Amino acid sequence: MKFLRQNSLRLAILLSVIVISIQTGREFHQMHIVDPIYPNPCEIRLLSDYFPTLKGTAGDTDVYLFEGDSPGATILILGGTHANEPAGMIAATCLIENISVETGRLFILPRANNSGFTHNDPQEGNPQSFTIRTTAGERSFRYGSRYTNPIDQWPDPDVYEHFPSGQQLSAAETRNLNRSYPGRPDGNLTEQIGFGIVQLLQKESVDIAIDMHEASLEYPVINALVAHQLAFDLAAEAVLYLQFNDIHFNLEPSPEEFRGLSHREWGDKLGIQALLMESANPLQGRYHGKVTAETVTSGLDKYNMEAAHSGLIEVEYPDTGIPLDLRVARHLAGLNQIFTVWNSYNENKINITDLPEYDDVLEQGIGAFLKQPTGER
Amino acid sequence: MEPELFILIAMMAVFALAVFAGKFPIGVSLVFAAVTGSLLSGFGLSLRHLVEGSISYLDPILIIITAMIFMEIIRETGALGEASRLIVVNLHSRPLLFLSAVTIFIMLPGMITGLSTASVLTTGAVVAPALIVWGIPKARTGSIIAMAALLGMVAPPINVPAMIIGGGVDMPYIGFGLPLLLATLPPALLVTFLLARPYFGRGSEEAIRNAFTDLPVHFKRWRLFLPVLILAVLMALSRIIPNDFTSMGMPLIFVIAGLSAYRSGLPFNYWKVIRVAVNKALPVMGILVGIGMFIQIMSLTGVRGYLIVNIVQIPSYWIFLAIMVTLPLFGAISSYGASYVLGVPFLLALLGRNEIIVASGLTLIASLGDMMPPTALAGIFAAQVVGEPNYFRILKICIPYIILTAVYGILIIIGANWLAKFLVI
Repeated sequence: MKFLRQNSLRLAILLSVIVISIQTGREFHQMHIVDPIYPNPCEIRLLSDYFPTLKGTAGDTDVYLFEGDSPGATILILGGTHANEPAGMIAATCLIENISVETGRLFILPRANNSGFTHNDPQEGNPQSFTIRTTAGERSFRYGSRYTNPIDQWPDPDVYEHFPSGQQLSAAETRNLNRSYPGRPDGNLTEQIGFGIVQLLQKESVDIAIDMHEASLEYPVINALVAHQLAFDLAAEAVLYLQFNDIHFNLEPSPEEFRGLSHREWGDKLGIQALLMESANPLQGRYHGKVTAETVTSGLDKYNMEAAHSGLIEVEYPDTGIPLDLRVARHLAGLNQIFTVWNSYNENKINITDLPEYDDVLEQGIGAFLKQPTGER
Repeated sequence: MEPELFILIAMMAVFALAVFAGKFPIGVSLVFAAVTGSLLSGFGLSLRHLVEGSISYLDPILIIITAMIFMEIIRETGALGEASRLIVVNLHSRPLLFLSAVTIFIMLPGMITGLSTASVLTTGAVVAPALIVWGIPKARTGSIIAMAALLGMVAPPINVPAMIIGGGVDMPYIGFGLPLLLATLPPALLVTFLLARPYFGRGSEEAIRNAFTDLPVHFKRWRLFLPVLILAVLMALSRIIPNDFTSMGMPLIFVIAGLSAYRSGLPFNYWKVIRVAVNKALPVMGILVGIGMFIQIMSLTGVRGYLIVNIVQIPSYWIFLAIMVTLPLFGAISSYGASYVLGVPFLLALLGRNEIIVASGLTLIASLGDMMPPTALAGIFAAQVVGEPNYFRILKICIPYIILTAVYGILIIIGANWLAKFLVI
C-alpha cells in the first residue's frame, strides 16, 4: 500500500500510457486490413510471381491481368505508387471492377506500394480512410502514405543514394517507390518492389506503362501527362485530343537528369513507352486547411481556395473544389485517349470495353462505377 | 477572426501558461497545447494523431540518446580531455590556425550527418575544454560550438534541409557543393573569430599545461582514441558506400563505438553512464516528442495552412523579411520542419531565381532555428557540453551573429542568379 501511495502518480501515468497504446494500436492495426476489390473476370497474380523474394513481405501486391481473346498490345497501369494520392488507386480499382479486354493484355496494380497503405505520414494529420457512396452503401478505402511503412523498412540512411546513378536525395526518399527504379534484387524493400515491377515489365514485354499519381496544388507538374522521350509523340497527340474535349493536360517531358522515376527508368532501361499522370489533390501540399475524410472526396478546402485567389497554386480552383470524381475521371480519360492514339498507329492494339467515360463519371460520381460493399453490381 | 487564428492563439497561450505558470517541462507543455488545439477544433482528444505525431522524430531521438551515451563514455575514459589537451598544447600559440582548425573540426560531423547535434555532441564536446582553457568563457565557448555546429549542418556534402526542400519540388540534390560552401564556411570562420577575438592570448602557457596535468596521458593513445576512430570510420563508410551501410544507421554506429570503449582508458560503469546520459538527453527528447504532436495537430486543424498561406502572400521584397523572421522562428520547432513546411513555398514564391542558390540560402536561414527556444537543439546541447546552466546566456551572445547569418542568407538569395554563374556547375 505504501508503494502504491508513494508512486500513485507514476502508476497513473503508466496505466494511461498502456490504455492509450492499446487504443491507438488498434487504430494503427486497422490500416493493415486490406480493402476488398471486386474484379471483373480476370486472372489475379502477385508481384512475387515475377520476383519471388517479395513473397510473404509487405511489398507483395496483387496484379490483375485482363487478357483479350485476340493478341495485341501489352499495357501496365499502376495506381497506389503513393498511397496518399487516392485518385490513382481509385481509378485502377474502377478499371478492375468495370472493364473487360477484347484485344491485347492489361496488367493493373492498384496498390503498387502495398506497404504505403498501412500507415500515414506523421505531421500531416491525414485521415486513415475515406468513403465513397456506391449505388447501395458506402465503401471505405485507406488513405496512406507517400512512403513505404518504416515498420517494413527501417532505419533510413542519412542520405538516400539512388542505385545505380548515385543521385542523392533526402533520407525518407529511400522509401519512395517512385525514386527507386530500376530497383535491385538485393536492395531494401522499396528497391525490391521497384525491381519486381521492372521484372514484370520485362517478362511480359509491356509496350506502354502508365503510373497514376496526384500532386499538391502548388507543385508545377500538375494536371499533367509526363512522358519519356520514347513516348513523347504518343503523349503529345493524346494531350491534343484531350484538349479538344476540354480536358486540359500539361505535357511534360521526363527530366533526363532526375533518376529513379518510373517514367525515366522504365523508358531508359526497357525502351518502352513510359508515362505518368498527375491530378490535383487538395489534401497534399502545405496550403490546405482543416483535414477531414470528406476533404479527400470533396476536394473542397478553404486555404487552397485562398491560395488560388492569390495566385499561389498552379491549377484552377473552382468554388466547387477539385473532387475525387473529377480527378479519377481525368485519369480514366487520359488512359482512354492514350489507348486510342496507340491503336491508330499500331498493329498490336489494345481494345477495352466498359471503360467509364469522363462525362459519365462526372455526372454520376465515381461511386456509380464501383461495386457495392457486398461486391455486387 | 479566423477560427484557425483563434486556435493558434489558444495553443500558444496554453503552452506559455504551462511553461511559465505551471512550470511544466517544455515537452509536456507542447502536449497540452496540442491537446487544446485538437479539442477546440472538434476532433476530441484525437489520440491517434497525438501518437502519430509523437513518433515523427523517432530517428533523431535515437541519434541524440546514443550520441549522448557515447559522449559520456569517452568523457569517462579520459579520451575527451586528452583530445582537448593535444589540440591546445599543439595549436594555442597560433590563434588564427587554432580557431580555424577548431571551427572546421566542430563542423565536420554536421557536414557528414546533416545534424547540428552530431557536431555539438562529438567534436564540439572535444574542443570545449580546449577553448575554455585557451581563455574563452564558457558561454562564449558554447556560442562558438553552437554556431559552428549549425553551420556544419548546412555545409556540404550533406544538407538535409536542402534535400527536403528539393524533395518538395522534384529538384535532385546535385550542384549544391559550392553554393553551400560559400553559404557556410565564411560565416562560420568569421563568427568564431569575432566571438573569440577579445580573448586571444588570455590563457597562459602555464595554465594551459596545468589544466591537463590530471589527465591519463600515460595511456596508450591509440587505444584511448579507438572508439572515436571507429565512430569516424563507420560514419565515413556510411557516406562512402551508403548502400552497404544503409541498414546500419547513426544510432547503431554510436552504440558500436561506445561498446568499443570498454577498457580503453579510465574504468567506467556502463549502467551509470547510460543513466547520466539519458537524464541529460531526456528534456530534449521530450521536446521532440511534443513538437511532433504540436505540428501534427497544427496540420490536422488547418492552423498550418492558415499560417503558410498568410506568410507566403506577403508582397514583393517583404518576402525576404518574412523569410528572415519566419524560417528561424518556425525552426524553433524544428529546422527540418521549417524547411518542409515553409522552405518549399518560399522556393516556389521565388521561382525565377536560381533554385539551387535560393535553396542554399533558405537552408542557411532555416538552420538558425536550431538556436531558437524552445527546442534550440544546438544551443541547449552546447550549453550542456560547456557546463553552462543557462542556455539563454548562449542565445544572448549569439543573437547578433544569428542576425548576421540571416542577412547573409538573404543576400545569397537576392544575388542567386549572379552567384549561379560562378557556383553552379
